[in-house]
Amino acid sequence: MLRSDQILATVEMIQKENLDVRTVTMGINLLDCRSGDVRTTCDNIERKIRLLAENFVPTCDRIGRKLGIPVVNKRISVTPIALVGQGFKRREFVELAKCLDKSAGIAGVDILGGFSAQVEKGLTESDREYILSIPEALAVTEKVCASINIASSQKGINMDALVMVGQTVKDLAEGTRESGGFGAAKFVVFCNQPGDNPFMAGAIHGTGEADAVLNVGVSGPGVIARSLERLISNKGAENLLLDDLADEIKQTTFRVTRCGELVGRQVSRELGIEFGVVDLSLAPTPTIGDSVGEILHILGVDAIGAPGSTAIVAMLNDAVKKGGIFAGKAVGGLSGAFIPVMEDAVLADAVGRGELCLEKLEAMTCVCSVGLDMIAIPGSVDADTISAIIADEMAIGMVNNKTTAARLIPVPGKEAGEHVSFGGLFGASPILPVRNVGKSSRFVSWGGRIPAPVHSFKN
Amino acid sequence: MEKQMIISVMSKDRPGIIAEVTGAIFQLNGDLADLSQSILRGYLTMTLLAAFPEEVTPQDVHSAIAHVKSGNRYDVIVKSMNTPVDMAPTALPAKTYIVTAQGENKSGLVYGISSFCFERNINILDLSTTLTDGCYTMILQIDLSEIDSIKDLRQDLDKYAEKAGMHVMMQHYDIFKVTHEVTLI
Repeated sequence: MLRSDQILATVEMIQKENLDVRTVTMGINLLDCRSGDVRTTCDNIERKIRLLAENFVPTCDRIGRKLGIPVVNKRISVTPIALVGQGFKRREFVELAKCLDKSAGIAGVDILGGFSAQVEKGLTESDREYILSIPEALAVTEKVCASINIASSQKGINMDALVMVGQTVKDLAEGTRESGGFGAAKFVVFCNQPGDNPFMAGAIHGTGEADAVLNVGVSGPGVIARSLERLISNKGAENLLLDDLADEIKQTTFRVTRCGELVGRQVSRELGIEFGVVDLSLAPTPTIGDSVGEILHILGVDAIGAPGSTAIVAMLNDAVKKGGIFAGKAVGGLSGAFIPVMEDAVLADAVGRGELCLEKLEAMTCVCSVGLDMIAIPGSVDADTISAIIADEMAIGMVNNKTTAARLIPVPGKEAGEHVSFGGLFGASPILPVRNVGKSSRFVSWGGRIPAPVHSFKN
Repeated sequence: MEKQMIISVMSKDRPGIIAEVTGAIFQLNGDLADLSQSILRGYLTMTLLAAFPEEVTPQDVHSAIAHVKSGNRYDVIVKSMNTPVDMAPTALPAKTYIVTAQGENKSGLVYGISSFCFERNINILDLSTTLTDGCYTMILQIDLSEIDSIKDLRQDLDKYAEKAGMHVMMQHYDIFKVTHEVTLI
């Protein structure tokens, strides 16, 4: 029997509020592609990706059309390339990046992640070569994204790697000076990096996964914002409590996630590739009306970053998980609300007005996903200070047993208050001031490790 | 040998209708197989499928229900089924879609969209309409098994919507199923 109120609510969600599936990401294991030399390894990689991903993009598009829910991004994630390339030198890692870029182009995907390493406890000689290759690898490729896990709750923080990634961020930005340091937007540093995250730039196909797997990233901050507005306008703000709003977020997320699960399972069936997880993340885009910041406004702070912002993000993050977990058979990846400044027009505006500072962003990342993401900082900030900002973010993840990440863009030649734009999904933002620059070098230069925290004595 | 009959009953809604109608069927040793009813603005219509012993005629069933002693008489139609009805539960066709059409209220709207479907051999499985503040909403559940290109149909539907001055959307039924029901995908 048709219930018209329910049908119309879903129609509104899909057609008027821009519900989409943000990404379907195909994870591909490349460990079996390794050969004695880089040329043969590249040939094997190209052959395997072509074989598995040949019908991937057309299938996603066809199912999106059939169901009337577009799959916005089609992506590939691969085994962390430092594992595939152990024993290779810097030049050979650049060759691997080129081969991944070419394969992504042939498959027709938007972007490919997994030019990555996992070095939370120690660095091999090849890992060092891999890290040194990153600036060139990302400069000569178009679709490849890099990520590196330098910390975990079980192993602590690798401070030797931390020094290297701070410098890498600087080199990436300098190497892409003419595009505002865009290279740094394709590189993310993690603590507790998940192996099944479909979102970029940090998607990898972790060890312990099957040979090929499909992970789906749903999104829909716009859908949640509109449903909250509708509830408030229908019932009147004076008749609602915060838990009513949390419940509305939960129910909307349930419906959004179910749509993602439906699309993912149908693609998986048609391609004959195992379905992995739905990632419940609330990922904004620079499009007006698709903002996490806007939800914070609706929930009661007049400036993003004002006292109360962290509490609201905590509630939002939790409600999204509660609604989504029941909706999907298996949930994984990052699964939380993102606050990527450049990719969220409302957050970027708050930076421009001086309402949102680095320290408040850091506080908010304690209670949501995924970290200091897409933050443009002055190009004059030195590598050690960048490493130290990353160290703080890693410590939050390590101690709280959650994933945290840092994607900072030191925009060459620009200072706080100036503007940078990357266009498209990467967005735009004023440059956020960094305080106390150059005062953390002694800490960063120790090297070694921050030991893992205790996992008992929780009181 | 049992005889299957399809029975349609209409009456102003009040308590006791189902009890009286099924009571009359029971008195004739009828076995009720299926029943569907709906109430529209205070009027109830009910369709029943029942099996009766060989000697019971449709006229017997008609008079048993029509002459129930109650507040008002029932309008009844009874038809004997020539071929046995398949009682296995029927799944919806794989290409079941939902069309929602909204626009300013005027006469001929349901006729227009149902003719659109008829011209293309599209069966309407269910239809509900509501009128709120002069805005007429039609929700149709349709079977597109006979349609080869959903893309072409969408284009036709867009043209129809423009001509009719309505906002028309079509989506696969699966979406509504997964967003409204707690069920396996």
